[in-house]
Amino acid sequence: MVDRTVRARAGKRLIAAAMVVAVGGAWGWAAAAAPRATQREAGAQPGPAGQPPAIAQALDAVLAAENQGRKLVEAPLVDDLAFLRRVTVDLIGRIPTVEEIDAYLALPAEVRREQTIDRLLADPRFADRWSVFFADMLRIRSGAAGGEQFLAFVHAAVEQDMPYDEMCRRLLAANGRPSAVPEVGWVLGDNANPMALAGATAQVFLGVRIACAECHDHPFDKWTREQFYGLAAYFGKTQRVESALTQRVYTTEAEQTTVLWPPEDVARGGPRAPMPPAFPFELVSAEGRQPGYIERLAALRAAQAAATQKAREETVVEDLLADADRALEAGQTDGAPQGAGLDLLDVQAEARRDAQRLNVQADLYRPSMLRQELASLLTDPRNLQFARNLVNRLWHELLGRGFVEPVDDFSDNNPPSHPKTLDYLAEEFVASGYQFRAIVRAIVSSRAYQRAQLYDVPEAQRQGSEAAFVAAPLRRMLAEALYDSIVQAGHLFSEKWGPGENVKTVRQLVQIPVEGEQPLAPLDSGGERMRGSMPAQAMVVDASGYDLETAVEVDFDAVLAAAAEELKLEQMQAASREELEAEMSMAGESAMRRYVERFVEVEIDDNPRFASAMRMASPAAPSHFLRIFGQPAREALGDHRDHSANMRQALLMLNGKLTHEASRVGTLEPIYELVCGRQPDLAAAVRYAYREILTRDPTDEELAEGLAIVQRQDAPRKGMADLRWVLFNCHEFRFLP
Amino acid sequence: MMTGCSGYRLSRRAALNAAAGTFLGLSVRQLLARAGADRRATAEHVILFWNGGGMTHLDTWDPKPGRPTQGEFEPIDTSVPGVQITEIFPRLSQQMHHCALIRSIAGTNGDHGRATYHLQTSYEPFPNLQHPGIGSVVVHEREGWGDLPAYISISAEAPRAGYLGQRCEAYFVGRPGERDPYLAFPAGITQVRGNERLEVLARFNDRYARRSQRPQLQAAQTSIEQAVRLMRSPALRAFDLEEENAALVERYGENEFGRGALLARRLVEEGVRFVQINRGGFDVHANAFPAMRAHGEVMDPALAALIEDLAASGLLEKTLVIMLSEFGRTPMVNKDAGRDHWAAVFSCFMAGGGVRGGTVVGSSDRNGEQPHDRPVQVPDLHATVCYALGIDHNKEVMTPLGRPMKLVNGGEPVVELFG
Repeated sequence: MVDRTVRARAGKRLIAAAMVVAVGGAWGWAAAAAPRATQREAGAQPGPAGQPPAIAQALDAVLAAENQGRKLVEAPLVDDLAFLRRVTVDLIGRIPTVEEIDAYLALPAEVRREQTIDRLLADPRFADRWSVFFADMLRIRSGAAGGEQFLAFVHAAVEQDMPYDEMCRRLLAANGRPSAVPEVGWVLGDNANPMALAGATAQVFLGVRIACAECHDHPFDKWTREQFYGLAAYFGKTQRVESALTQRVYTTEAEQTTVLWPPEDVARGGPRAPMPPAFPFELVSAEGRQPGYIERLAALRAAQAAATQKAREETVVEDLLADADRALEAGQTDGAPQGAGLDLLDVQAEARRDAQRLNVQADLYRPSMLRQELASLLTDPRNLQFARNLVNRLWHELLGRGFVEPVDDFSDNNPPSHPKTLDYLAEEFVASGYQFRAIVRAIVSSRAYQRAQLYDVPEAQRQGSEAAFVAAPLRRMLAEALYDSIVQAGHLFSEKWGPGENVKTVRQLVQIPVEGEQPLAPLDSGGERMRGSMPAQAMVVDASGYDLETAVEVDFDAVLAAAAEELKLEQMQAASREELEAEMSMAGESAMRRYVERFVEVEIDDNPRFASAMRMASPAAPSHFLRIFGQPAREALGDHRDHSANMRQALLMLNGKLTHEASRVGTLEPIYELVCGRQPDLAAAVRYAYREILTRDPTDEELAEGLAIVQRQDAPRKGMADLRWVLFNCHEFRFLP
Repeated sequence: MMTGCSGYRLSRRAALNAAAGTFLGLSVRQLLARAGADRRATAEHVILFWNGGGMTHLDTWDPKPGRPTQGEFEPIDTSVPGVQITEIFPRLSQQMHHCALIRSIAGTNGDHGRATYHLQTSYEPFPNLQHPGIGSVVVHEREGWGDLPAYISISAEAPRAGYLGQRCEAYFVGRPGERDPYLAFPAGITQVRGNERLEVLARFNDRYARRSQRPQLQAAQTSIEQAVRLMRSPALRAFDLEEENAALVERYGENEFGRGALLARRLVEEGVRFVQINRGGFDVHANAFPAMRAHGEVMDPALAALIEDLAASGLLEKTLVIMLSEFGRTPMVNKDAGRDHWAAVFSCFMAGGGVRGGTVVGSSDRNGEQPHDRPVQVPDLHATVCYALGIDHNKEVMTPLGRPMKLVNGGEPVVELFG
């Protein structure tokens, strides 16, 4: 059933140390090895009790000023429970539990929201949920070369508050093997193709579409082919190498560039010269006094550098590792999972070996000088577009619409709806040291985020209010959040039945050798089939054919920890090759084995568990629940999430195993006593179900209706399953309040 | 109005949709005819067998008796005088008068991933653009008939629809012959109880939608109604192979491939446009001959039965059957008694959909190493599928980024296949 690997959270510091070693400290993410608290201090300061943080207040003021003079119907702020549901889904990707609701309501009203935001920002699921955001933006594909490591890298970056500019610099400049330099996945993702990388870099990090200028001067925009080639030239020496012997993939820098000018179709066989790299985007003038936000950033960075320098003087690599040893020992005594220790020791040894190997191979895997230059230009605080792009995408994710839509089409012909608000947020993001959590905190603390939806106003007015961010639009949960919310409220993250309570007989396919011998083992029902020719991961939930809702958790820490493990790497390479070389392994064995297939009845104890959709290899297989609910393929540029409804969504929700199992009342669930205990209280059970699934109490009419549904079946347990099935399936569940 | 689909088992709703589809088909074909481009586009459906791994051409459709590249199999005569295939297809050889071969496909890629992409989309892979597979192209241009999804992929996922969008993605059937759990209430939920649930759900959703009138809610409601209509459709019995008598199942073969072929026939009878059946295991770097013999034992009865049944019911004329693989295999047998990747020339099998039975297009040289005459490029195959259905393969569609893309990457249909 669900294969859940033990997480090794205690290994955090050690992994961070290993990563510092791996990149030779080029970009000095040494701060990541320091406790998170020091990172936090740089973030937005919470306001006094009952007041949102200063940035949020200022943000609302700028927005109000920009809306000045427009006739708008403003929605009030959402009520407390609706806010809890909205912000919990947005920040950690699932609905709140009953315990979280109770704790929230127990807080004094004036600090409820603010304290909840802080709690959610510190929740381990925050990194899971926002890895999904970055994986979409960066088009991370677990099945691509280096994709698995790239996803783990981004997850670690969010988890440990790596400044956003630093994250981008690292992945733009990286060279090497994914196992040692996980961020090289960005370059590998586009096969190190300079033209593809130029288009992707502009569109992903700046929200500017210049890819059309690869073949012609942009018809509606200002970009020329020469500018495009100049940008591509930064990638011109980058090579993707695949060793035929070891099947390892890595990138390296060549002596010669492959980007030549003029283009082939213009040169027509004539001479072409290496194109000099040129950054086509404007930086704000460096003359005179710097803008305030840049000065604030400089002051912040100076303070950080001083702290890092001090740490450096006292710590060399071996000390970092020894430090990690101590952390490991400490972790073991305060209840780290048994068995995790062994893995960590491996990591340590591997990190040491990697450090040695790096000296030998430093030349081969050195970061790209050209791309380092590009990375510093791109992430230069004077390039405000870099920050604008991120806050616009974030605003889109949290409020349902960006200041610029589509988010990757900033252009003179497509100006932002609220340029001052956008710039204010972008500048604050820069000044905060590109702290992702800080800017998220500012946004969700604002009145703009906390608006309710508008009802009972004419359509045009409602749309005007939503476009002005004075009313919330109707937003559907992300596919991953929908999945996890059902798992959470359905108590399926762990088993909710005792052993033997769900024994049942299923039809299963077995292969019987033609010679008429004993049946072979049952077929792996789905793993191979789901894969097909596309890189995607799928495993089996159970033997009854519900292949489209499977969940296999990836241990991101282990992916990074395995950094130096050659063997593991080769296995992974073999695995991804296997997917591409569709069925190679089947050729030798199964094709030669002669058998007929027969259905047989098999008895199983069907007691399912589901893992978090946020921690799976992604994107999922094309027909998987997550994909059907809009998880993008992350192949093409502009391949955004599709939140629209389709028939296959309905089939999965109405008939799928996830909703079915989530609805059933398990004997180990809290609601069981209320429904089936010695003193059942069905009214309390209905109220509990509403809280647990819809994060609110039922109205009196809904309570009466719920009771009638529960009592309609011969057993209240079945009736409660019906009510919960309806609650999971109804519009109110998937659309945010 | 029913000319395009007599003999189909149609529900009333299906009949209405079918009428609409025929109308659409006719109008496009009339347009083509006006442009002088129409020969005889008779195909309404496609059954694509995708053989992943690179199926050897020499041991299947293009035998080279007496040459050093022959391998272990002997050629056999077929129902078409002068046309031989290898001994692993004894039953199919007797249907050859319905079938055609192209023996001169000139591939460009010897890497599985790139070649698969090329053969399935007609385009070379490009890092940040996903081209649609041929099945998605077909259903983009031709809606399905009846209640079933227009495009169904069996045993493995079909290629992506790319910029053609969710509507053109295949419905995935993992295990032909087994109940698709998503098309019925979960086990243990009776029809009565399931319908009660749907009734309550509709009440809840109505209440919510009355307060919050948004187009998304209407779309969500429609998606539920479509799903319920499919769950209740009589056309679903196409999936239930137990309806067929045991002898018939036996003819196709009691294995996944046989069930897949039988299911494909039943789906086409219900109006499904494009069925893709996926099979792997053709990457025979070692011990090629026992492996291919085993493939033959599975594929031969299924293909023969499918062609025979489609011909008998008259549906073959309207159904283009095509078997493709990403490349062929090295003519020289290697030291492990296997064959390696070979893209320079390989073959494909076709039948129906207006293809003239017994046709062989092109040939490879005497050792099966290079095209000898009439080289056929990969996009030509895609153009041929479009041609059979009366689809303009040069039609341009816009990607979401506003980039115009041709449905097929150029190419010319192989018109001599058609009668």
